[in-house]
Amino acid sequence: MPERTVAVASASGLHARPAKLFVQEAARLGVPVRIRVGEKSVPAHSMLGVLSLGAVHGTEVTLESDAPGADEALDALVTLLSRDLDAEEALDA
Amino acid sequence: MREDLLDPRAVLLHESAADREEAIRRCGRVLVDIGAVAEPYIDAMLERERSISTYVGEGVAIPHGTAAAKEDVRRDAICVVRFPGGVDWDGEPVTVCVGIAAKDDGHVPLLAALAEILLDPDRARTLREATEAHQVIEELT
Repeated sequence: MPERTVAVASASGLHARPAKLFVQEAARLGVPVRIRVGEKSVPAHSMLGVLSLGAVHGTEVTLESDAPGADEALDALVTLLSRDLDAEEALDA
Repeated sequence: MREDLLDPRAVLLHESAADREEAIRRCGRVLVDIGAVAEPYIDAMLERERSISTYVGEGVAIPHGTAAAKEDVRRDAICVVRFPGGVDWDGEPVTVCVGIAAKDDGHVPLLAALAEILLDPDRARTLREATEAHQVIEELT
């Protein structure tokens, strides 16, 4: 099954705003993806699921999908997680 | 779990708010009253909400300030404010707000625990329908 592992780049980790942006992007892509930390795996489009992972800055998360279009979706989500989404908020302001 | 994050005085279960802004101001006020944040943090919570909704599902929202407002945080803390009459949250009905003041990552395990509770329909209902502060504190800590 295609998978990618990436360290969460956002300063505040994968919750609050970065989590919301990640979940929205996963839903928009329309490809079922799961996100895993250690043994715990949840759907990437579930805000509560993603929050329950408790991922902080630097936590390594693994994205997995065997659906059609998986590679493109995983790449897009890895790119998102590799950016510091909190820093981008500061630039917006 | 850090039990010091949730002060019993920060659990209010019988509040009402006309709209989302009033609900967020109520949460911010609680965090000010317990000494967790300085006054400007309340406006930062409203600003954050305008940029992206803090609704997480199951009738729960988690209002918090922007990254720039961390300087107004004196210590990590959360508050639990329940609105039995419900608040329209950009189209979603919210009955529980978990307001967050966080400088670092100290609140993340608590947020993860909150998410676990909300993923369990029975525990989510217990939290939404709690009438005593100790029920909420026992669930969350």
